[in-house]
Amino acid sequence: MARPEAGKTAVLDAPGNASSTKKATTMANTSVIRLEQVGKVFEQKKQRFQALKQIDLTVESSEFVVIAGPSGSGKTTLLNLIGLLDQPSSGKLFFNGRDLSQCSSTELAQLRRDQIGFVFQAYNLMPVLTALENTEMVMEFRGMAADKRRAAARKTLTALGLGELMDRYPDQLSGGQQQRVAVARAVAGEPMLVIADEPTANLDSRTAESLMDLMSQLNREHGITFIFSSHDPRVISRAKRVISLCDGSIVSPVSQAVEFSHAV
Amino acid sequence: MKLERKLAMRNLLRNRQRSLLTSIMIVATVSLMILFQGLSDGGHRAMVDIGIKMGLGHVLVYQQGYNDDPSLEHLLVDAAATGQQLQQSVPELTHMVRRLHLNGLIQAGANGVPITLAGVDPGLEVQVSRIADRKSMTAGQTLAELPRERSGNGLPGIVIGEQLARNLEVGLGDRVTVSVKPKGSSDLSREAFLVTGIFKTGMQELDAFWAELDIADAQRLARLGQEVSVLALYLDDVEKVGPVAARLSSQLPAGKYEVLRWDQVAPELHSAVMLDAAGMYLLMVIVFVVVAAAILNTILISVMKRTREFGVMLALGASPALVVRVVFWEALFLALFCIALGGALGYAGHYHFATEGLNFREVFGTTLEAGGVLLPDRFFSFIYPGKLAFSLLFVLLLTLLVTIYPAIRASRLAPVEATRHG
Ligand SMILES: Nc1ncnc2c1ncn2[C@@H]1O[C@H](COP(=O)(O)OP(=O)(O)OP(=O)(O)O)[C@@H](O)[C@H]1O
Ligand SMILES: [Mg+2]
Repeated sequence: MARPEAGKTAVLDAPGNASSTKKATTMANTSVIRLEQVGKVFEQKKQRFQALKQIDLTVESSEFVVIAGPSGSGKTTLLNLIGLLDQPSSGKLFFNGRDLSQCSSTELAQLRRDQIGFVFQAYNLMPVLTALENTEMVMEFRGMAADKRRAAARKTLTALGLGELMDRYPDQLSGGQQQRVAVARAVAGEPMLVIADEPTANLDSRTAESLMDLMSQLNREHGITFIFSSHDPRVISRAKRVISLCDGSIVSPVSQAVEFSHAV
Repeated sequence: MKLERKLAMRNLLRNRQRSLLTSIMIVATVSLMILFQGLSDGGHRAMVDIGIKMGLGHVLVYQQGYNDDPSLEHLLVDAAATGQQLQQSVPELTHMVRRLHLNGLIQAGANGVPITLAGVDPGLEVQVSRIADRKSMTAGQTLAELPRERSGNGLPGIVIGEQLARNLEVGLGDRVTVSVKPKGSSDLSREAFLVTGIFKTGMQELDAFWAELDIADAQRLARLGQEVSVLALYLDDVEKVGPVAARLSSQLPAGKYEVLRWDQVAPELHSAVMLDAAGMYLLMVIVFVVVAAAILNTILISVMKRTREFGVMLALGASPALVVRVVFWEALFLALFCIALGGALGYAGHYHFATEGLNFREVFGTTLEAGGVLLPDRFFSFIYPGKLAFSLLFVLLLTLLVTIYPAIRASRLAPVEATRHG
């Protein structure tokens, strides 16, 4: 992959492009996501398990946040709540200023479709669709015109260095390539927020590195908010803000003011 | 192609083996269903056809009261005029014959057997009746083949069943005496006949208790004029029996005539056909259940194996309705393919038996009898297009019906399914 150099080649649109500027400015004073005293309880076979306890968390627009913590600490549970895939047992969740407790599952699905991109640990591409078709899929859910969504998908895939592989099916791609397609699928529709649960867990360190480059570049140039989880210190070190989870609670919300640097 | 159709089609192709196995099952059942339907209906038509040709008819016109009391008191008096009227008002008519049925006693030497005597128009009867057909004759000639002038000793000819000839211990050219009770008299009317032909139909009641003679001889014997028992109508298609009978019933003056269909006159033949048809319907139900189970199985497995995929779609914001549509398209494509292929194969089989016929004796090694009717050695597959279309449509509807459950199950998956890994 010819890695685009920061500041030289834009990943999606040129930096400072009308749409991204607009997004960046209008979102600046609204939190993308806000959790107030959010708890999550799993009940299984009469066993109650408190996976998350009184979480207070606010993520602003254009943030690049990692949720860190040991296995079983509740990272996936938290990301599922933030990604509107699951609902909290207690507390309140606001998405883009909107209280979600009253939302129907249909409304939640529409919010996910229109505003949130997902990158899953297991890639989760549709096996019967090509890279291009996978990338188009969410935009097709939105009812976007075929030529428009195709153009957007092509542009994104090309920018992510997958120009040659667009017509391949997932089983004809390597793990790293599949995960890049998954990122393309998550960002092609220009969502407000991208959620990624351990996106690098199945990748070797070099591929993981370049995926991180890609995501932080999209964040910088596009103002897309990224929230991802990881327990890989090298990945965590690349985030602007680290939220540490332990036994379902946030232990030390460390805000890393360290500006992202491309050289590693 | 729209996304849901693309996903559905490609999923079927991706799981080629599973799709193929299911297809083979459905294609086989659908084509066998068509084949059986054609043979069954063809067989029924042959049965009905034979029954109708055994001295019956498609539609029968009697004098009012004849069927309650088939005596000489209830004969059609103006048969000629009625016949002419019918010729004009029934365009579906191919043949019409008049018959006079008499109960009588046939004797030869010391042997006597009570029988039914059928007085017929030999020239017409030979065209419609199996009894009067050349092929049924085991000895002698049909009435139609008899020379106009009486033979040397001047006796009229009579054609009797093979079993009857044996029971009477008579052969061709032997003399028999026939006695009937004429109208309005208690003395028997008796006349001698010459056995000029012996027939065999395979039906016991005809071969042992039936004799045919010229209607003029029968009328003279019973001391009648031009009266007949029945006008038997033969139509160009057995399917038109119902409508024609209904039409005639309302057209002919009420209280004077009685119009009956073949199935009303020969209920035992009709019920034999119906019983056989019921067996066919049972078979169809089994076919439908097999198809439904096969499709349900395939679609359900296919859906359960793709829990993650559907979860991902739902997580990424696909509406449950879209997921339902994907599953339905999958079932629909599978069903349409199988119905088309099964339909084509089944129809090809039907076409073979519709043109070549099926030889009972070859297939079963024996002749078949149903409802007292000996089935012909060879009969032809027949398909009612409406019935075929209905069965195929039913298979399709059934497919969609059994897909409801897997489709709803897929659409109700929780979007968090997408995040499970392993
Ligand atoms: N559906 C569920 N039912 C019951 N318990 C659950 C469920 N999902 C998660 N848990 C429990 O909640 C806790 C947090 O799980 P979670 O998957 O969020 O951890 P995690 O931090 O993502 O771990 P990992 O790093 O291994 O992915 C775990 O103890 C887990 O067993
Ligand atoms: Mg996890």
